[in-house]
Amino acid sequence: MEVAILVLTFVVLIGLGMPIAWCIGISATVTMLASIPALPALTTVAQQTAAGLDSFSLLAIPFFILAGQIMNQGGIARRLIAFARSLVGGLPGGLAHVNIIAAMLFGAIAGSAAAAASAIGETVGKAMEKEGYSKEFSAAVNITSSTTGLIIPPSNILIVYSLASGGVSIAALFLAGYLPGLLTGLLLMVVAAIVAKRKGYTTRGTFALGEVGRTFVRALPSLLLLVIVIGGIVAGVFTATEASAAAVLYCLLLSFVYGEVKVRDLPGVFLNAVGTTSIVMILIATSISMSWIMAFENIPQDITSFLLATSDNPFVIMIIINLILLFVGVFMDMTPAVLIFTPIFLPVVTEIGIDPVHFGIIMILNLCIGLCTPPVGSILFVGVGVAGTTIQKVVRPLLPFFVAMLVALLIVTLVPGLSTWLPAQFGF
Amino acid sequence: MKAKVDRVLGWVLVVMLAVMTLDVLWGVFTRYVMANQASWSEELARFLLIWIGILGAAYASGQRMHLSIDLLENKPVRLIAALIILFALGVLVVGGTRLVLLTAELGQLSPALGVPMSLVYSVVPLSGLLIIYYRLADFKTS
Repeated sequence: MEVAILVLTFVVLIGLGMPIAWCIGISATVTMLASIPALPALTTVAQQTAAGLDSFSLLAIPFFILAGQIMNQGGIARRLIAFARSLVGGLPGGLAHVNIIAAMLFGAIAGSAAAAASAIGETVGKAMEKEGYSKEFSAAVNITSSTTGLIIPPSNILIVYSLASGGVSIAALFLAGYLPGLLTGLLLMVVAAIVAKRKGYTTRGTFALGEVGRTFVRALPSLLLLVIVIGGIVAGVFTATEASAAAVLYCLLLSFVYGEVKVRDLPGVFLNAVGTTSIVMILIATSISMSWIMAFENIPQDITSFLLATSDNPFVIMIIINLILLFVGVFMDMTPAVLIFTPIFLPVVTEIGIDPVHFGIIMILNLCIGLCTPPVGSILFVGVGVAGTTIQKVVRPLLPFFVAMLVALLIVTLVPGLSTWLPAQFGF
Repeated sequence: MKAKVDRVLGWVLVVMLAVMTLDVLWGVFTRYVMANQASWSEELARFLLIWIGILGAAYASGQRMHLSIDLLENKPVRLIAALIILFALGVLVVGGTRLVLLTAELGQLSPALGVPMSLVYSVVPLSGLLIIYYRLADFKTS
């Protein structure tokens, strides 16, 4: 009964066009009102909303957002693109590969797929148009490759998963993301090469070792950030939160040295970061209260016993969970999806022997696909906007890239070692 | 009036974010250089995050930054605004005020800073009032 109220309220509000954070908050409140008296119900939701943000690991999110905003002001994207160009510009469909590699690097450093889609898409997209690539193909490459930055660390969404899973190690999750992220990027490059060949896109780049070295040196200070953050966390020098604050400091120093950010620009940069942070934080706060209410109504237990009753084959259960998540990802933003569905599915998957770190990577990789599909795909919107095309036109060119993402998801689901081998090497 | 509220709210949030950054860096510094981490730095950062998150929700609401899905041609803007006001009033203002009163009654203090928890939670009704203000200001202009 309560489940029906929860789902129904949520679906109706989303359909009306209500901002998602309020949809979640209101449907959680309505469900609460249906089960306990009004005043305690309202107080509980208020308390869960405030207490949900009371977490030291969540602090890493605003800091990574801030670091990303500082980088967006600077020439970091430009340097990374130049480096990627020297590496893969000579392959068939050269610029498409440049876009993918640059998005993987920038997405990892900036920790935001939307930032990657706009920063890389803006520059590489223009160059691609000049060399005769269709806008829609460029947009499709840019949109799908931008999501790899969510798997390749540092990644805010992996921090959210760590919180939702009740404390899976952030360092382990970060290390686990590397191979699946690289695999996804590689598969996207294969598809890009096939499409480019078929459409007869020529390549004008050449490969020269000297150029690779020269652009690498210029990109090195930006790449060093990854070493400081990931190295610091894995070596136990920093917590993820402290590493993210150090990243802010490092980005600030770097942009001052490059002369790309002035002190008087800082309030604006901070205000942009505050805006993005607030949107994410209120989604987290309301999602946590919704997840608390679902636990209060025993919803996770019901779903666990239902799923375990359907099949005792781990493979079948993982396929079912993946299909549900794909559906969820199409209609729900990534952060609430992770916060609401992790507590529901994690007990099931641990029951069938899946490592929580492995499941986290599966879940994020899965939800990345939803970011690129209508009607809510935030990266789709950014990518289409940057390329100056429309969603209708970009859907067809996107299809082969979706196949690549689905294949990556299937491989990552079936081969636990891809996610667990690297963390194990570091003792996690 | 709305521009003034925006400006003050924006500056408060920017200062909080800056203080939060310095605070966490200070925590790392004291641990490695002074070998004794200030016990209050982590608590202050967590409280600032609660304030930034909840007060920021009001700011983002004022700037119309929250994400939504547009499926309908003619969005029922007034209905949505009315529902948001109802939520802000019921949960954030009424529920939040009761939360503040309950924690004040218990006299609960934070372990490291000794700040009354009711003060930390007071951001909930404050944000609720701001959200209601922004939605009403919208009604007036539209």
